[in-house]
Amino acid sequence: MRSLLWSWLTLLSHYRRHPSQTLFLLLGLITGVALWSAVHIINAHARASYAEADQLLDAQASHWIQAPNGRVALSDYVALRRAGFRQVYPVLELRLSTLDNQPLTLIATDLMAMSASRTSPTQEQSNSRVDMRAWSQLSQPPYAVWVPASLANSLPLQAGQRLTLRDGRQLPPAVTDSQPRQGQRLFMDIGAAAITLGETHLSYLAVGAIDPAELKRLDQWLNQYAPQLKRRSNQQPLDLTELTASLHIHLNAMSLLAFAVGLFIVFNAVRFALHSRASTLTTLRELGVSARTLTSAIVLEGFTLSLIGTALGLAAGFGLSQLLLPAVAATLQHLYGAVLDQRLLLQPQVLLQAWLLTSVGLLMALVWPLWQRSRQGVLAQRQGVDVLQQEQRSQRRLAISAAVLLAIALLSYPWLNSLAHGFALLAALLFAGAWLLPWLASQCLHWLSQNAKPGLAQWCWAEGQVQLGPLRPALMAMLLALTANFGVDNLVGSFRQALDNWLQQRIAADVYVQSEQLDAHQLSQYAWLLDSHERNGLRLRWQGRPTLIRGLDPSAPDVQQLPMASQSYPQGGAAWPDDGILANEQVQHLAGKQLGDVIYLPLGNGEQQRFTLAGFYYDYGNPYFQFYLPYQRVAQLWPNAQPQGLALWLDEDANMTEVEQALVEAGAQPGDWIDRRAILQLSLRIFDRTFAMTAAINTLTFAVAGIALLAALLAIHQQRLPHYAHWRAMGVSWREWLQLTAVPLALCLMLTWVLSIPLGSALAWLLIHDINVLSFGWTMPLQWQGRPALLLALLCLGVTAIAFAIAALQVRQRLPYALKQLGADE
Amino acid sequence: MLHINQLNKSFDQPDGKVSVLQQASLQLEAGQSAALLGESGSGKSTLLHLIAGLDRADGGEIWLQQQPLHQFSDEQFNQLRRTQLSLIFQQYHLVPTLSVFDNLSLQARLTGNLDDDFRQHLIATLGLGPLLKRLPQQLSGGQQQRVAIARSLLHRPALVLADEPTGNLDENTSQQVMQLLSQLVRDNGSSLLMVTHSPAMAAYCDHSWRLQHGRLEAELSA
Repeated sequence: MRSLLWSWLTLLSHYRRHPSQTLFLLLGLITGVALWSAVHIINAHARASYAEADQLLDAQASHWIQAPNGRVALSDYVALRRAGFRQVYPVLELRLSTLDNQPLTLIATDLMAMSASRTSPTQEQSNSRVDMRAWSQLSQPPYAVWVPASLANSLPLQAGQRLTLRDGRQLPPAVTDSQPRQGQRLFMDIGAAAITLGETHLSYLAVGAIDPAELKRLDQWLNQYAPQLKRRSNQQPLDLTELTASLHIHLNAMSLLAFAVGLFIVFNAVRFALHSRASTLTTLRELGVSARTLTSAIVLEGFTLSLIGTALGLAAGFGLSQLLLPAVAATLQHLYGAVLDQRLLLQPQVLLQAWLLTSVGLLMALVWPLWQRSRQGVLAQRQGVDVLQQEQRSQRRLAISAAVLLAIALLSYPWLNSLAHGFALLAALLFAGAWLLPWLASQCLHWLSQNAKPGLAQWCWAEGQVQLGPLRPALMAMLLALTANFGVDNLVGSFRQALDNWLQQRIAADVYVQSEQLDAHQLSQYAWLLDSHERNGLRLRWQGRPTLIRGLDPSAPDVQQLPMASQSYPQGGAAWPDDGILANEQVQHLAGKQLGDVIYLPLGNGEQQRFTLAGFYYDYGNPYFQFYLPYQRVAQLWPNAQPQGLALWLDEDANMTEVEQALVEAGAQPGDWIDRRAILQLSLRIFDRTFAMTAAINTLTFAVAGIALLAALLAIHQQRLPHYAHWRAMGVSWREWLQLTAVPLALCLMLTWVLSIPLGSALAWLLIHDINVLSFGWTMPLQWQGRPALLLALLCLGVTAIAFAIAALQVRQRLPYALKQLGADE
Repeated sequence: MLHINQLNKSFDQPDGKVSVLQQASLQLEAGQSAALLGESGSGKSTLLHLIAGLDRADGGEIWLQQQPLHQFSDEQFNQLRRTQLSLIFQQYHLVPTLSVFDNLSLQARLTGNLDDDFRQHLIATLGLGPLLKRLPQQLSGGQQQRVAIARSLLHRPALVLADEPTGNLDENTSQQVMQLLSQLVRDNGSSLLMVTHSPAMAAYCDHSWRLQHGRLEAELSA
C-alpha cells in the first residue's frame, strides 16, 4: 500500500511540473464531458418535461373538455362548477403576434379554481412555488402578465413594460420571471385576459385529478346538459415522448461524437504523459516497485484525473446546457409544441454516467501502453524501443481494423432497419475513416520521401513520419470533427433547400387568415380575390400516434400543385377518388403503408371508416401522421372538425390596405392574417432556430479538435526539443526548421480534409437516405454543397496556423535552453 | 554475504550467440567493497543486472545472505530491490519531476524505512543541504550522483550495486564522489560491488575482480 501511495505521488509529480500537459489533459476531459453532459442534461430535462407536459404552473390536467368549434361558453363552465365539479378549471389559450410578427402563446386561467383542482400531496406542495402576492397582482388592476425571462430577453421586454400586439392591443405590465411549467408561454389571470383582450369565450376546460365515480358523473352531466362538449383523456406526455424520441437520439449521437473527439485529446495527453515518464517508470521498477503496483498507480492516476475531469466537465456542461437550452426549447416547441421548463437540474445519474464514460475513455488510452510495458523487462524498458517501427505496426493494425469495420458496415447495410443500426453504421464509417487516416498519411509521406530530391525535401518528408505518431490522435480527432461538420452541413443545407422549395409550392397563396369570426363568403364579392381555399380539420390517434386529418378543396390552386412523392390517381382537376385519401410520407415510411393499401380511421361515434391510400405527399418537418380529404367529407365524417384557416390568392394589383380593410369588415381581427412573404420568412426562421443546437454542437466539436491539435503540437515540440537543438547546432536555420516541421503537418491536415469530403458525403447520404427516414419518416434529395467544404478547409487552415504558431513560439522560447543542454549528460 | 557460483549468461546476436559470463564466480563478505574491472562489453554490467534480478542467468547460482537469488521470482526480486539492495547508475536515474529532497527520500519511503536523523546525516555529509528544493535538471552531474548515492543508502541496504557511478564525472568530482560512497557504505555496514573502468576508482574498494573472457579473476588488493 505504501509502495502504491508513493509510486502514485511520484507519477503525479509529473503533472505538477508540466502544467501545460495537465491543462490539455484536463481540457480534453472537461470539453468532452461538458459537451456530452450538456446535451444529456437537456435531454433528460426534456424527457422529464414531457411527463409534465400537460401541466400548467404545476397543475396537471387528467382530461380536457372541448367544444367542436374550439370555444367553450363561460356559462357552461359556471354550470359545471355549480354542479359540484371543483376539479374543473377554465383555460384560455391564444396565439398572438408581436408587432414584428413573432408568434406568442398566451395561457390564461383562474388561479384559484386551478389551485383547488389539485389534490395530490406533491401538487399541494408545489402550490407554495407560486407566490400568493404575485397571484393577487395578476388578478387586480392594472393586472400583470408573466413573461418567462428568456422570452422577455428575446422580445426584448423589460419588467413593467407593456407588450403591444400586432393588432394594436396591449398586454398588462410584464413580470419577467419564469414560473414552474410556464415554458415559453405568457401567463395571465383569465379575468384579466377577458377584460384586457376582450375575450368572451374559453378555449377549453381542464379537469384536475378526478376519481372514476366523479368522472362517470361528469360524463353523464355533459351528455345531459352540454352535449356539444366532449371530454377526452390527456395523452400529451405519451405523444411527446414518442414523437421526440428520434430527435433526442440524434442529439445524443452528436454529443457522443463530441465526447469522442474530446477523448482523442485525453488519449494523446495520457500517451504523451506516459511516454514522458518512461524513465521515471523504469526507475521505480529498478527501485523495487512491482509491475502490478506500478500499473495500479497508473490506474489510480487515471481514476484521479477522471474524477477531476468529470467534476469540472459537469460544471462546464451544466453551464453550457443553460446556454443551449433556449435553442433546444425552441426546437421542441416549434416541432412538437413541447414546453420545456427553463430551470435545469443536475441529476446524480448524469454524474455517475459522465464519470464512467471518462474512466472508460482513460482506461482505453492506458490499456495498450500498459500492456506493452508489462510485457517488457526492466532492462528492455531502459533500452527503449524503436518508436518509428512500433508506430508503423500500429498504423497497419489500425488500417486493417478500418478495413474490417468498413466491410462489416457495407455488408450489414442492406439489412438497415432501425435507428440503433443506423447510428452504429455511422459510427463504423467515422471510425473506419479515422483509423485509416494515419496509414494513408504514412504511405503518402513515404512515397514523397522516396521520390523527393535528396536533401532538405527528403528530410522534410522523413520528419513527417516521425511527427505522425504523436500527431495521430489529433489528426483522427480533426477528421471526425471535419466529417461531422461537413456531413451535417450538407444535411442541413439539403433540408433547408428542400424545405424552401416545398414551402414555395405549399405556401402558394398570398394571404393566410386564421379567424373564427371570418365570413369567407363576404370576401368573394371583391374583384381582387382570384381564389380562396378554406380548410377544416381535427386531431385524432391512429396506430397509437397523434394524427391530423385535414379537409381541403381539391380544386384549390395549392392542392392542384401539391408536391407528391407518389400517387395512384391523376392530379390536377380530376375528381377525388371515391374512398381515396392522401397521406403524408410519414405514413408510408413510419407506418409502412403503400399506395392502394386500405386503412381505417376512427370516427367520432366510435366507428371506423375505410379509406384507400391514393397518394403520398411531401411534408417536411411534420412529426405527425397527416391525411388529406375533401373538405365536405371531413365535415360529414367528423362533425367536430374545426376550421383550419383560409388561404387567399390575390390579383397582382391588389392593394394590401384594401384587402386588410375587407378582412376586418368580414369579421377578422387585425393580426388574424399573415402574408406569404412573412409566413415563408417565419418558416425559415423557425428552421434556422431548430438547427441552432446542431450548429452549436458542431462548432464546439471543431473547437475541441483544434485544442487536440494544439496539444499534440506542443507535445511533439516538447519531446523533440533536444533534436531541434541538434539541428540548430548543425546549422539548420529558423526558416528551414519551419519548413521541416510545418510542411509535413500541412500535408497531413490537407489529407485529413480531403478524406473528410467523401466521408462527410457518405455521412450526409446515410443521414438523409436512411437515418432521417427511419427517424422522422420523410425523404429529401441530397444537395451536395461545395461551400461547406471550402469553409471547413479555411477553418482547418486557420486552426492549424494558430496552433502551429503557438507551438513554434514555445519552441523559440525554449530552444536557447535546449542548446545549452547539448552535451549535457542526459 | 554475496556468493556467485559458476554463473553463465549469453546473448543472441545477429552473428550468433555471444557468451559474456562463463562459470563466473565471486565472493563478497558483509561490509566489504569490491570493484569489477574489465573492457567494454565484457559483461560487468550484466553481472550487476543478474544480481539485481533485472535479467536472468542461463545457469549458476547467486546467493545473497543465504537467499538463493537464482530461484527468486520477479516479485521476490522486487522485494529484494526495495529492501536489501540498491542500485547506482552512471546516468543517475533520478525522477526529473521530484525535488532533490523527494528524490533522495524516494526508496526509503517505498520501503517504509525512513530514518529522519540518518537522512539529515546523509544530506550533511553529501553537502546536499542547499540543493534540497532543486530539480535534478538544475544540478551538475556530480551533484546528481550525490543525490543518487543518498537515495541508495537511506533505506540501509545490505548490498549496493554501482554501475560506473563516476563514468560521467571529471576526475576531481569522481574522487570526491568515490570517497563519499566508500565512506558511507562502510559507515552503513553495507557491501558495495562497483563496476568501473578506472583502476583509480577501484582503489577505493577492498577488493578488485577483473572480468575477462567471461570469467572473474581476483586482482591483488588495492
